[in-house]
Amino acid sequence: MKRLVEIFLRRLGSLLATLVVMSFIIFLLVEIMPGDVAQMILGQSATEESVAALREARGLNDPLLERYGRWISGVVVGDLGESVYMKGVSINSILWRKVGHSVILAMTAFIIFVPLSIFFGVLAGVKEKKPIDSIISFFGLATMALPEFVSGVILITVFAVQLKWFPIVSVLPIGESIWQNLNIVILPALSITLVMFGYISRMQRSSMISVMNSDYIRAATLKGMPRKYVIFRHALKNAMLPTITIIGMNMGWLFGGLVVVETLFGFPGMGSLLMTGIKTRDVPLIEACVLLITIIYSVSTMITDIMYSYLNPRIRFQGGQK
Amino acid sequence: MRRTLLVVLLLAIPMMVFAGGDAEKAAPVKQIRVAEQVPGLITPGVWDGQAFSMNSSIYEYLVEINAETGALEPLLATSWETDAGKVWTFKLRQGVTFHDGSVFNAEDVKYTLERTQDPSIGHLKKADFEVMESVRAVDDYTVEITLKEARPTFVYQLTDYSMAILSSDYDYASLGESKPMGTGPYTMSQLVPKESALLKKNPNYWVEGLPKIDQIAIYFVSDIDASISMLESDRVDVVPFVSPEIKQRLDGVDGIKIISPYQEMRFISMRVDEAPFNDNRVRLAFKYAMDPKIIARNVAKMELNDGVFYDESPIMASLAEYKNIPLRGRDVEKAKELLKEAGYPNGLSTELYYASDHPFGKELSQTIKELAAEAGFDIVLKGYTRDIYLSQYWLNVPITLTGWGGRIDPSMLLALAFKGDGPWNESHLDDPVLNDLIEKVSREADPDQRMVYYHEMQEWFFENGPLINVQVPLLVAISDRVVDYKHPLSQLPQYKYMDIL
Repeated sequence: MKRLVEIFLRRLGSLLATLVVMSFIIFLLVEIMPGDVAQMILGQSATEESVAALREARGLNDPLLERYGRWISGVVVGDLGESVYMKGVSINSILWRKVGHSVILAMTAFIIFVPLSIFFGVLAGVKEKKPIDSIISFFGLATMALPEFVSGVILITVFAVQLKWFPIVSVLPIGESIWQNLNIVILPALSITLVMFGYISRMQRSSMISVMNSDYIRAATLKGMPRKYVIFRHALKNAMLPTITIIGMNMGWLFGGLVVVETLFGFPGMGSLLMTGIKTRDVPLIEACVLLITIIYSVSTMITDIMYSYLNPRIRFQGGQK
Repeated sequence: MRRTLLVVLLLAIPMMVFAGGDAEKAAPVKQIRVAEQVPGLITPGVWDGQAFSMNSSIYEYLVEINAETGALEPLLATSWETDAGKVWTFKLRQGVTFHDGSVFNAEDVKYTLERTQDPSIGHLKKADFEVMESVRAVDDYTVEITLKEARPTFVYQLTDYSMAILSSDYDYASLGESKPMGTGPYTMSQLVPKESALLKKNPNYWVEGLPKIDQIAIYFVSDIDASISMLESDRVDVVPFVSPEIKQRLDGVDGIKIISPYQEMRFISMRVDEAPFNDNRVRLAFKYAMDPKIIARNVAKMELNDGVFYDESPIMASLAEYKNIPLRGRDVEKAKELLKEAGYPNGLSTELYYASDHPFGKELSQTIKELAAEAGFDIVLKGYTRDIYLSQYWLNVPITLTGWGGRIDPSMLLALAFKGDGPWNESHLDDPVLNDLIEKVSREADPDQRMVYYHEMQEWFFENGPLINVQVPLLVAISDRVVDYKHPLSQLPQYKYMDIL
């Protein structure tokens, strides 16, 4: 247990260091993006005077380090600043609502794809080289090869345009919350499922196969244990390890990086907000979104590492993790 | 077995949850739903010209343009008079209140006009209103504006979308972006930044019987294709600023029609203070190489003079000031000859800069490049995003392609973009004849004489001008259920007159 606490603390330290470095890199990257936000906002009828007035009003003329300092000291106390566009509207009031939507989308996708891909992965692994295995493997490979903007369009065409089961665009009707409109989540979630299914089911299949061929499973089978018992009680526990790693590694993407899926479906989440921010050069908004995504990635990687150490006694007891 | 059950259960939960969500709710109120671009700034004065349906419904102007006739009509001003254009007296409407309950009066007009000159705001109309010497509230409902020099068409400037009448008691600097407030037919009920806005009928609106609908629901959608999908699936009724490709796709779709309320201009300007376009023969050669019919078809997928117009002067074909000069017609041989005379027997190489993300930019520049190539112009296309184009290249390059909104009174545009000292003089013109004509049209009080100057000017452009003016349609996709869609050249859609079946 002491070892686990040590791993946790060391991970936490490196997480904080990563965030500090990343926050500066994010700030610099957004800084060197081409174009001028004041010019962008005011358009063609902008005069030099109006551009200068706007730059001054938004504090864009201050030195780089001063602006970074101002930004990061706000971020530390939870103040993400104001959008360049909406004066008097804090980013906190825009962002968290969208993050909430994205979390609901991610959770829905998670609930669909995790059991589905593990189940079919195990099935394929157990029935190795049987027709059912070939079908599952082929399907997994096919969906994995399709990028989400292709599978998404297919889903829209079939389920929204032809069958009319779900809306074409995942827009929230004004004045309604996402809980009244959960049907807008389904198609984006299915689209994510198609991407993840191949990954996870194939990983599950191959680890299942290698576990099923190991000596202790053979011994269990030879001593006359029922097959179901062997598979679920003995094999699955060990075969899940690599799958958990893969799922954990993708959590960051799932909760923060759904830019393509959200933009394609017009889903009102963090990904499409980031897209809007980039399109309109809304620097504070981009910084807030990217920083949040970085945090989600780092934390989910950390949790995966810790879970892995916990599940794998070799790391827990011998210090395999450096 | 237990685990199999668990898996089935896990799969079933989302299905059960989502099964209920699909039921459409009956609309209790009459509403028009709009999908618009995500707006940037929305405070009048620095408003970037997005979200027209929102601002044009919340704010009002002293005067408005009749969408059918193009005539100027009273709105918050009931009448106005001038002595040859130097002193303007506006009588204001009584009994109008702002959404916050304060009474509209002359102080508000004075505040709105003087605000244009406040340096801390960076007002987009600062240059246009610098001509004002003083604004005086004569009484509660009379305003007197004295100009530094005569401007007989000054009243037209008050139709500009930046000139919404603001309340002198309201803190627009801190509330303008989050709680817009004016005297308009709709009030802001709910604004979700970057997502949506809900406008409700103003119960105290000063015109009996208007507005006709109870609310306007505006979705801010950054992707135009997503907006069109919303229109096709009946989630919105109006989508402004659609492209010609979308028009082609939607033509013949039941329940949707594409209308073109007015044209916008695209200026292709040649820089005249540098070779090669300092030689009028080169400019003429360039103009002889153009084929208006091909441009119309390639750029807007429409026929010439049917939604798309082509001219060599900055006066729009839809205006009264327009002089119908027959088109030059394409003559590649003549173009080559002119180039040879000008000392370019083997043609010449030049650059055309444009905003690649601006409607019609790519199509128009590509078509021009190909047409000009046959006459010996080797044009290198330089496309940049609009902010980079405007801040780094515009006004400093051999050929520019820039979008210009239509103006009811063209004299202001002429002074800004074609006069020697104009701030947006993209072709670097400084021609004494033209300068003089522009001066005269902005000062002449007699409309007939003004027309004479306008016609002379258009002839000058035809002979010497550095300009090709392609007038492209503003396209709006609307549901058949929307009646009386009105959208005049001031770019401000008039939702108060609209109804929905």
